[in-house]
Amino acid sequence: MQRSGRMKKELEMLSKSPPYGISCWSKDERIDLLQAQILGGEGTPYHNGIFTLEIQIPERYPFEPPKVRFVTPIYHPNIDTGGRICLDTLKMPPKGAWKPCLNISTVLTSIQLLMAEPNPEDPLMADISNEYKYNKTLYIENAKQWTKQHAVEKNISEENLVKAKSMKDTGVKRTQPMCDVTNKKARDS
Amino acid sequence: MDMLLEFPNMVLQNREGTRYDGYITVMNEDFRLCLEYPSDIAKATLSCDWKLKCLLDGCLDVLKQRILQSKSLPSFLQEMTRIIEKKLEVTKSTKSNKEPIKCGQIISEIESLGWDRLVSVDADFTLLQFLHTDHKGREHILGMKLHPQHPVEPPQCITDLPVPFDPHWTNKSTLEDLYNQFTHSVNSYQLFWDCMEDIDKNTWVLEPDNPNFSAVYRRIAISSSASVQITVDPKQPQLLPSCRFMGADHSVSQLRQNMNSNLYHWDPEGNLLENLQSLLDVTFPTPTTSKKEEFSMECGICYSYKLETELPNEVCNDSRCGQAYHHSCLYEWLRSSGCRQSFNTVFGECPYCSKPITVKMPTT
Repeated sequence: MQRSGRMKKELEMLSKSPPYGISCWSKDERIDLLQAQILGGEGTPYHNGIFTLEIQIPERYPFEPPKVRFVTPIYHPNIDTGGRICLDTLKMPPKGAWKPCLNISTVLTSIQLLMAEPNPEDPLMADISNEYKYNKTLYIENAKQWTKQHAVEKNISEENLVKAKSMKDTGVKRTQPMCDVTNKKARDS
Repeated sequence: MDMLLEFPNMVLQNREGTRYDGYITVMNEDFRLCLEYPSDIAKATLSCDWKLKCLLDGCLDVLKQRILQSKSLPSFLQEMTRIIEKKLEVTKSTKSNKEPIKCGQIISEIESLGWDRLVSVDADFTLLQFLHTDHKGREHILGMKLHPQHPVEPPQCITDLPVPFDPHWTNKSTLEDLYNQFTHSVNSYQLFWDCMEDIDKNTWVLEPDNPNFSAVYRRIAISSSASVQITVDPKQPQLLPSCRFMGADHSVSQLRQNMNSNLYHWDPEGNLLENLQSLLDVTFPTPTTSKKEEFSMECGICYSYKLETELPNEVCNDSRCGQAYHHSCLYEWLRSSGCRQSFNTVFGECPYCSKPITVKMPTT
């Protein structure tokens, strides 16, 4: 009963004033299935990546938390290979910290924060967590590698990918954002 | 040959002797019908005139069954005659029930009252609506449902007066007498409606939506976390109305205090709205100085102001929070988040500020 009215308001808010680095929209005009994208924050190994998430809104929302899952693979101590996220605000009390005053926007913001600040004390991926604790440089290297492989190249259309590869061959730095690469090519030619 | 003897008005139409057209007579009434009655009874067809169709409406299944079971055409037609007879009896008896209302008399009564006052009337002359415009231009509708034994039994009246309209009626009374009693009542409530109109125009009324003439209560917004519901006596609208406060404890207790200390200053001759403001020592926000959205605070759980018919009346008592919730939303959350319950009260935390909050269990 409460779900439809609240989702209408939330979607309106999300489209009008989305949080920084986050976009969210309903999939096929449904109110029970949303899609979101989080930009990897600067200074994190996820920088330049675009991470896609899927959000299921349960029948009893907002009395129950939304079910959020990463679609894009991510190398993170609290996110497993199936995209499941270990975050207390996504669980019901007394174990979790979900409250109806939270919403999709605040949940996505806290996921964005979790990406920047992993919580190795409550790990979902023990290996990555140990790596994060005892060999941080390796963790950063791996996370960067995964981001590059799954969250950057996947988001570039085939055509641009070919262009990017040829750019790489001619010595253009790969870390530059894609649009700049194509623009540069346009300028050069 | 049986056919010719028993139903002489049915005429044979073809050589095979399967098609008949003509009339059957039931209780001195003729009904036109056309029958195909081939040897394969399942293919039999029956068509008839409108009068008969209306009469047989609802017993077509019975007729089909009778055709299939019949041994010959005359026997089927006899069955059918019996069905029509029964149907005719039923309609006759229902008609005779309606008889006593005499349209002629009612029309002459309406005429003496004035046709221009009549708003609507139904085909049977049992439901009538009259309009009365009072001297302030307010339009009042008097609805009447005439009793079948009119005028021995009084008509049922439907009005929008704040108290039930209970007119005096004798078997000699006319509709005009009733109308005059109604206008007299309307005039006696002028002061009440003036007071209510004053409130509706100069404050934010949260409830009821679009109040009609019969509504004696108004819920008036005072601030975003408090409102007062007054119930006015329609016969003495300028007296102190009964007040019910809604909202957060800290603002409501102040209002209650003001009311208790200013009770003696109430001026029974003065303006209701002004009296109320000085009683509570507040100035009600008006439509000219504020927007309604400021006072219709959304529920913190479902994000809407109106949930079906419910308004967010539960407010967090912490003055720094003051978040409003619908009763059903807050109850649902506290129950599903594992809270403490004692008698009919549920104890938990405000979902926004985590300060203690309580909610009564639903009465049903």
